Amino acid sequence: MDGLFILLLVGLTSVGAYWVGAKGFGLSGRGLRRAVERVLECVGMMLVFLVGNLAAGIVAILAARAVTQQFVSLYLIDDETLVILSLLQGFAFQCWRDASAP
Amino acid sequence: MSWARICRLLGLAALAVFLTSAFTPLPNLLSRWLTIPRRLEPAEAIVVLGTRLTADWELSAASLYRTRYGIVLYRRGLAPLLVFTGPARGEGPAEATVRAELARELGIPAEVILTEAGAKTTREEAIRVGALLRPRGIRKILLVTNSLHMARARGLFERGGFEVLAAPTDDVSKASGEPEDRLQLMRQILGELIAQLYYRVAGYL
Repeated sequence: MDGLFILLLVGLTSVGAYWVGAKGFGLSGRGLRRAVERVLECVGMMLVFLVGNLAAGIVAILAARAVTQQFVSLYLIDDETLVILSLLQGFAFQCWRDASAP
Repeated sequence: MSWARICRLLGLAALAVFLTSAFTPLPNLLSRWLTIPRRLEPAEAIVVLGTRLTADWELSAASLYRTRYGIVLYRRGLAPLLVFTGPARGEGPAEATVRAELARELGIPAEVILTEAGAKTTREEAIRVGALLRPRGIRKILLVTNSLHMARARGLFERGGFEVLAAPTDDVSKASGEPEDRLQLMRQILGELIAQLYYRVAGYL
């Protein structure tokens, strides 16, 4: 029920945003399609960074264990901030690609 | 295929996983598949696995649940021995020691409590608890941990020669249907799947 409410809420505000964009700012439907594609690219890039961060974290922890002979927990990388930072990395990388495009 | 197209497909897949995890019972169904049902029968020892202490050296919520459930099982007369595990955090006391103190304060006789504070991973717990219990002739244990962790923990103890009766502290398949709770459950499932993969690749399971 909570999930349905949230979906309805976001659906309604999305329809409102579409109306404001199309009527108020005169944005095109084709531009919206391109925007959705860009969002998906950012999310995909975030996933690439997240997997890369997790893999690098595991390798670093296992290497630290081997080199120092001290216990370093793999749970160090089990942190929600890693998802948010990966999202920012992916977003920044996509913006960089866009800014560098000819 | 262009890099942009690959990213779009990855993004679409990530979005699909996010939406099905948050807004459908998929995490609950997955957790049902991953967990082992409770099997409460008389055993020779109750082994309560460690989780962690908080920064101020109190038992974390998960540690408290496990400790409480171990005490409940002992009080039901399911085993004559209670084993607490859990290492120290920094300069403070070991989790196993804090749990044992709590159990004693709740009326459990000190002579039926054993502690193992040296193990830092599930694998080490299985090895060290095995070294503690095998000389006492103990082969059948009630294993207390959270339900998602049980499959990996049971595999390790069985490999150590024990007959393991699963005594999970929770049933995450019945977790709340709120999107945030489902996402949290999905995160725990993915974490445990990665841990199981690591244990299999390393040859521990």
